[in-house]
Amino acid sequence: MKLYLHAISSYRSDKEDIVLKKELKSRYKVDIRRKDDFIFAGLLGALRLKEQTDISKESALYLTSGYGNINILAKMNKYIVEDKESIKLFDFINMLGNTTSFYVAQELGIKAKSIFQISDNFTYFNTLISIYASLRQTNKEVVCGVIDLASENDEVLQRVAAVEQNTPLVSSVVFSQLSLEEKGALCKLEFDTKFYTYEEIKEVISKSSQKLYLSQRCKELEGEKSSFYIETDASYLINKAIQEQEDYLYVECYEQRYKLLKITA
Amino acid sequence: MSNILQSNYRCALGARQETLELLKVSQTKQSKRVIMGIEGEVEIPYCSFTNSQELSYEEILEEIKEVVTPLLNSLTDTQKRSCCVVVGTSVIDLKIIESIESSNYAYKRQPYSSQKRSIDSYAKDISDSFGLHGFTLTINTACTSSANALLEASNLIDEGIFEYVVVIGLEIFSNTLSSGFNAMQLLSSDHIKPFDKQREGVVLGEAIVATLLAKEPSKWSLLGGFSNCNGVNITSVSPEGEEYAEVMQEALKKADLTAEDITLLKAHATGTFSNDIAEINAIERVFNKDIVFTAIKPYLGHTIGACGLLEMAVLIDCIDAGFVPKTLNHKDPIIEDLQPLKEPMLCSEGTFMLNYFGFGGNNTSFIIQKGEL
Repeated sequence: MKLYLHAISSYRSDKEDIVLKKELKSRYKVDIRRKDDFIFAGLLGALRLKEQTDISKESALYLTSGYGNINILAKMNKYIVEDKESIKLFDFINMLGNTTSFYVAQELGIKAKSIFQISDNFTYFNTLISIYASLRQTNKEVVCGVIDLASENDEVLQRVAAVEQNTPLVSSVVFSQLSLEEKGALCKLEFDTKFYTYEEIKEVISKSSQKLYLSQRCKELEGEKSSFYIETDASYLINKAIQEQEDYLYVECYEQRYKLLKITA
Repeated sequence: MSNILQSNYRCALGARQETLELLKVSQTKQSKRVIMGIEGEVEIPYCSFTNSQELSYEEILEEIKEVVTPLLNSLTDTQKRSCCVVVGTSVIDLKIIESIESSNYAYKRQPYSSQKRSIDSYAKDISDSFGLHGFTLTINTACTSSANALLEASNLIDEGIFEYVVVIGLEIFSNTLSSGFNAMQLLSSDHIKPFDKQREGVVLGEAIVATLLAKEPSKWSLLGGFSNCNGVNITSVSPEGEEYAEVMQEALKKADLTAEDITLLKAHATGTFSNDIAEINAIERVFNKDIVFTAIKPYLGHTIGACGLLEMAVLIDCIDAGFVPKTLNHKDPIIEDLQPLKEPMLCSEGTFMLNYFGFGGNNTSFIIQKGEL
């Protein structure tokens, strides 16, 4: 399966010292009331993408995340379980997965399909597969938003991320415009539904001429890895590939099963 | 085109056969649940099939396994390896809640351990338990979650990416979710009264439903569907129902049909003030007044993330049994000459449109057809 990327925007908390809420209010004049950091992260990615490209109202919107909005769950849990209080109306609304996609669609002027989806593992890969199937059916563009927001208490995320205690976490947002159209694309993404064994992935790597980049979970493989844990690291690597004009082979691993993303810049 | 091979479910009326028997005699079942209201605990009407106040992750997973087992046992091991799982739900992520409680509250602290978990863990655990391919997705678009899961699954089948997809709709009682609906003043104090001037809101419900999709022949097919988003208001649409009408018209286009081809419409019909007025106006826009329509939520409750798939599976069972259930609790119509079914209707074949509209501006409509096998 192949997708072509026509525009991309990103934010990483370890690379930019900004407060999301302030940035949205001062730079983009966004109404920040009744929203939270997860929504702010999505809006920042979307608005930065909008600065680079025209987005059709007929584009589909796919948002994905490794975990969703953990901080709002913590807040709701405190209301109900600890404080024995009723929940606040807009906290409840913000807890719903598609609230972020609503605000993003609104900012981008998208009127077509809007999906919020999560996969337990390989969430970015699986979203690309969904997008590919959707594009083959409609042949319209897709905006793909990937949001991973670190929890206010790092340990909450660390406990559900299959990582060691005190593994450094960062927040990451990547928005991209994808289609099946090669013309004018910034890069090509190739992926499939296959899971590779360790032996198979070693063989693919040994035969590849592309630069290798590994997920932190690929402990048995040698190569360049992110020093931080981000569930959707693959999406951020696309930025790097485009900036460096370098082709990359990204390898993700979970439970001894490997997946590949080929990025041709 | 994807075909609907088989479905199975558990809902407030029971398992499949019990549900069908009760629908034949226009019966429903409601119980009560206690939730956190604005001034302390309150009791609300609820359509439940579980007995405990809130189930654990493991208990929910066991319930899902029971529902999917008949579907997945019909596949060979080779077929299972080309079967993926797509879930539609709006349930709270209980594994993340466990992590929150263990990390944030000293008295609930557990020794550190870490396992990859998310709202998609149910799908992943089902995939692992039954030896399926391993591709899983969980879609959360509120009331349209499992309707969108069905359409996304259909894309995967149509493009030949997977041979089989088991689509699961899941909604289990949650104090948090119910309290949220209560805070929005959307809950009825007694029953769902679709398209009725006296309507006062929803009765929530829980359900687990699974449907197996494939290209292989079946008497039921998914002809097409459409999903859009209304970016104007997060909790409501215009009373004129333009957004709802648009999604219904686009679904007809996707299925290469016209309004005249539709035998019956299964309305979303939540019994809330704004949804019902928008939907009845949308129905009038698309069908003029020439359409038979009914509502299923008065029987099963509003099962939020599960309703997309549950109401389809229940409607299919009813049609296969030769009837369409009447709309319960409808007495005083919003539009005099545009009323849902007041008596059960004999019907054993045809083309059916199903509507789902939700928070976050998500609207979905799709069309299924019963043909010759």
